[in-house]
Amino acid sequence: MPVSHAANSDTFTLTTPSDREITITRLFDASPALVFEAMTKPEHVRRWWGNLDDRYSVTVCEIDLRVGGAWRFVGRGPEGQFPAFHGVYREIDAPGRLVYTEIFEPFPDVESVVTQILTGEGSKTRLTVTSSYPSLEVRDMVLKTGMEKGAALSYDRLDDVAQELARIVAQ
Amino acid sequence: MPADQLSHTFAALADPTRRAILARLATGECSVTELAEPFDMSMPAVSKHLRVLERAGLIARGREAQWRPCRIDAGPLKEVAEWTERYRHIWESRFNRLEGYLQTMKAKEKKHARKPRRK
Repeated sequence: MPVSHAANSDTFTLTTPSDREITITRLFDASPALVFEAMTKPEHVRRWWGNLDDRYSVTVCEIDLRVGGAWRFVGRGPEGQFPAFHGVYREIDAPGRLVYTEIFEPFPDVESVVTQILTGEGSKTRLTVTSSYPSLEVRDMVLKTGMEKGAALSYDRLDDVAQELARIVAQ
Repeated sequence: MPADQLSHTFAALADPTRRAILARLATGECSVTELAEPFDMSMPAVSKHLRVLERAGLIARGREAQWRPCRIDAGPLKEVAEWTERYRHIWESRFNRLEGYLQTMKAKEKKHARKPRRK
């Protein structure tokens, strides 16, 4: 079931191509350069990364976009601050390729490597994000805790959307 | 399902032999001897894997027959699939917001592009 009527939402896929990886793909109605900018400049990331609705905000969004430079994101919701994510940029070849490490701070010894690929497809851009984890156990832990810690909260949002859809259908 | 039960399930699934056993059981119930056949493994080693799977609730073993047939229990697997589905929803809604925001950015770019001409 699509989460909302956002453009291209039906192009979203999540797969586990190997025991240690999670791959997400999606098309966007924008150029690779614009998608890259939206994903790598703090003033833009703050607007979409954690903001489910007015009660949510991204309180920390630091991006030092250089090889070896650090990044750190912290979200905040009605029940307080969420645990932070941080990492270091390893490869930057804008807008096509970005490789960085990611650590979810409650599990400081677990580092994943994220490879983000942007390719133009006509007037659209395909985003492919592959997260590589140290082991199957860790990957499955991420699949499990992603919801508990990160955005249990998108549940609220989902409910809103579901109710909205229900209203539309009822009309 | 309690959180520690889910951990048991994930731990049980984190082994290729156990996943192969589950795949075999998905085609129908069978005996420990039959399960051991495709694997180059002793019976006690297979039994150990079966105990892990049983503790995680992924398989049930019959009490009725001497050969105690094993069968798969899909319940916990469904729970795991649901967790994955939730992770999917997080990213799905996050990228839907990004899509919406990109359209805002595009609209702003157009506006900025017009500005110099006006002045």
